[in-house]
This record gives sequence, structure tokens and C-alpha cells, in this order.
Amino acid sequence: MPKELSENICDEQVFAVVYNKLAQDLHNFLYYKYGSQINPKDTTQDAFIKLWDNCKKVALSKAKSFLFTVANNLVLNDLKHQKVVLKHQKETPKSYSYETPEFILETEQFAERYQSVLERLTEEQRVAFLLSKVERKTHKEIAQYLNVTQKVVEYRIYSAFKILRKELEGFRIK
Amino acid sequence: MNPMHKDELIKKWLNNELSEEEQKAFDALEDSGFNSYLVNYAEHFKASHHSAPDDFKSFKSQYDKFNKQKQPLNKLKPLLRIAAVVIVTLGLYFTFINSSKIVHQTMASEKTTISLPDASTVQLNALSRLAYDKDSWDAKRQVTLDGEAYFKVAKGSIFDVKTSAGVVTVVGTEFNVKQRTNFFEVQCFEGIVKVVSDTIVRQLTAGHTYRILNHQFSESITSALLPEWTKNKSSFSSVPLQLVIAELERQYNVKVELNQINTSTLFSGSFTHDNLEDALKAISIPTQLQYQIETDQSVILYED
Repeated sequence: MPKELSENICDEQVFAVVYNKLAQDLHNFLYYKYGSQINPKDTTQDAFIKLWDNCKKVALSKAKSFLFTVANNLVLNDLKHQKVVLKHQKETPKSYSYETPEFILETEQFAERYQSVLERLTEEQRVAFLLSKVERKTHKEIAQYLNVTQKVVEYRIYSAFKILRKELEGFRIK
Repeated sequence: MNPMHKDELIKKWLNNELSEEEQKAFDALEDSGFNSYLVNYAEHFKASHHSAPDDFKSFKSQYDKFNKQKQPLNKLKPLLRIAAVVIVTLGLYFTFINSSKIVHQTMASEKTTISLPDASTVQLNALSRLAYDKDSWDAKRQVTLDGEAYFKVAKGSIFDVKTSAGVVTVVGTEFNVKQRTNFFEVQCFEGIVKVVSDTIVRQLTAGHTYRILNHQFSESITSALLPEWTKNKSSFSSVPLQLVIAELERQYNVKVELNQINTSTLFSGSFTHDNLEDALKAISIPTQLQYQIETDQSVILYED
């Protein structure tokens, strides 16, 4: 690894490695934080363009924080305080399929409610919760993206879950 | 199960830190299914269902396309540099070399008459230089003078004569400007002339002379209607001898050697431009000096 650290990200091969490693994470982070309307795909691309333009000034070890900071700034420049919109996947994700369990009143309303609760979470809670539970990122990784401690990440996930539970309690069949 | 313990279990479960035993306890919770369902349901909002970043290949092509807009400029850079040099050179050429500046210069013992773009005329005395800009003449009548000249300025806008010793401003009139080492004299023959030199500003009317000799300002009156030199005669009133001799040198293109002579003696009188011998007599007799013409270009003045 130390050898890799000294490598120059201006080099296309090195840059490709960085891209393949971080593009997905950066994209997902932006999506969960700001929602789909900021076009996380374009912002990701813009951030990487900035990184390559500045490749001489950014060490490989700093590439990740550079990207996340730049992307964040790009979004903030773009639009502030817009309502976050997440897209709901209608079909059950393929990764796990099951019948609607007997303890839930799963209806259109449940999906809508779930989505609106997610959208109304603070961005800190939402990002931490979704990165952990959907993207299966470790707390350590999330802490790195957000520049906070793991304890803070844990707390954000827990408080997000508590709100979800409280808001959706009504759909539970006791 | 007490609620405290339940909260702890849920925290650990969220952190994926449940031990086997705790996992059992968690599963035994009456709402464990609901809890799991809530967390798993988040999968419906997975980012990759809706959008995903480009792969590197398409990113690369985007990047290249983005950068192409800058590229042509880089290729042009050397050309732009050459173009800049050419433009600057042309600029300098037109400003200094091919400028519309017109210069008239006289040698020693030479006089000339110049017509300016308007009806004004200038007579230029020996060893003098007059310059003006032909193109901007209509906007600004201005000449630069080094030496002595007699101006007949046609009526019109303001007419400036700039010298190293001061500026003479007129509207339309006749006047003589003489600027030599430590000597600046303006004689007005007609109309009104405004002279500015250092801090001294004067309006001269016809017949008045403005003179700065060795930084000393003086004013006098002249009855002449034209400067004497235009009639091939140099005339002086109370001028140090050295300036008279300098004028003689200019008019005859000779070198005058002075042999122990007090050159600050004031001289009043005149000498002709036609005959060196007569001119020398005109200077030497009133000052009680002797002269000797060595060659065509060398004269010695000495005391008895």
C-alpha cells in the first residue's frame, strides 16, 4: 500500500483504479444525502473531472476526501434547501424476496409513508442509515465519508431507525 | 424484558454486534420481525436502482470531450505568442518610426522657414530643432522647440510651444522663442502670449520680453517689430558675453576660444550674420577685447 500512496493519480491507470473504487460510493452518498433531483451521476462526474484537473496537487491518499468535499460543494453551490426526493423501487428488490409477512399491513400507503419518513429525516440520519443498511458500508467507512467518529455514525443510524419505527408503528399488526 | 435491555439489543443489532446469545434474545422479541422488515425495506430505495455513475471508460471520453474545448487554445499558444510580438513590433513601428511626427532641424549657420499645416509659419534659427505631429495637428496645435524660432501663428485654436524651459501658449500672434542653456526668452511682437516656466506665469503683450537667465526672471520692453536674427543680425540687450559668443558660434559655425576673459560681462549690441570679421569687431570693440581668426573654424578672443 505505501507504494501505491506515492503514485501519481494523473496517471490514467492509477486514476482508473481510484475511479472504480470510489465513483459508486460517491454517487450513492450524494444520492442518499440530496436525493435524485441533484443528479448524483453528473455531480459524481464533475467531482472526478475536478480531481483529474487537480491531480498534481492531490495525493492519492487525499483523493477520497477531496472528492467528497468537492462533490458536496458542487451540490451546495447548485441548490440549497431543496426538498429531498428519493425514488421508490416498486418491485421487491431481487436481492431478497419474501412474501409480505403476516405482521405487516403492507399497502401502497406503507411504501408512501416509508418514503416520506426517509425524506424527512435529517440528511445526517438518512445518509448514515442508508449507507449502512442498504449499501452495507461499515461504520468505519461511513465515518470516513462524513468526517465524523464512528460513535456519531452509530447514533445517527439508531436515531433514524427510531424515527422510522415510531412513524410506521401504525402499520404493524399486533 | 425490561425496555433498557431491549434498546441495547436493538442498538447492537443495528451495529451488527449481536452475539449468538443476544441474537436469540433479539429474535425472541415480539417485534423483531417488524424491526428487520423496517430495516430491510430500505433496500427499496437503493441508489443503484435509479442511477449509477458511468463506468471509467465513458467517464474518460466525457473528460476528454470536456478538455477538448481547452485544447485548441493550447495548440495555438505558440502562434499567439508570435502574433503578439508582431503586433507589438508593428505598434512600436507606427508609434515611433513611421509616426506622423515631423521634425525640422537646422545646422550651425543655417536658418530655415517652415510652414505648419495651418497658415502659421516658423523661422528656425541656427542649431535649432522643431517637431510637431501632423496627424493630431487639427485637434491640438503643438510644437516642440529646442533652440530659437520666430513664430507667426495663424488665428485659430490654442497654439503651444513646448520647450525644456517652459511652455508658451498663444491663440494667434507673432513671437520669438529662444531657449538655450540657462537662457529662456520669449519676445512678443503682436497679440498676447502666455508663458509658463517653472512657477512664473506671465501674459505678454506686443513689445514685451520675458526672460529667464540663470533662473532669474526679468521682463523688458523691445521696440523691434521682428526679431533681429530674421534680418541676419543678432541683437542683445544686457546678455552675458558667453551667450553672445555661443550665438556667434552657432551663426558662423566656428569655435571661439576664450583666453582669460570674464564671460559674465553683460553685452548690449548686435552682430551681423554675413561677415565674421565684422561680427567679431562688433563684439570685441565695445568689450575691449582682441580677436584673431586662426582658421575658418577657429577664433581666439583675448584681453589686451
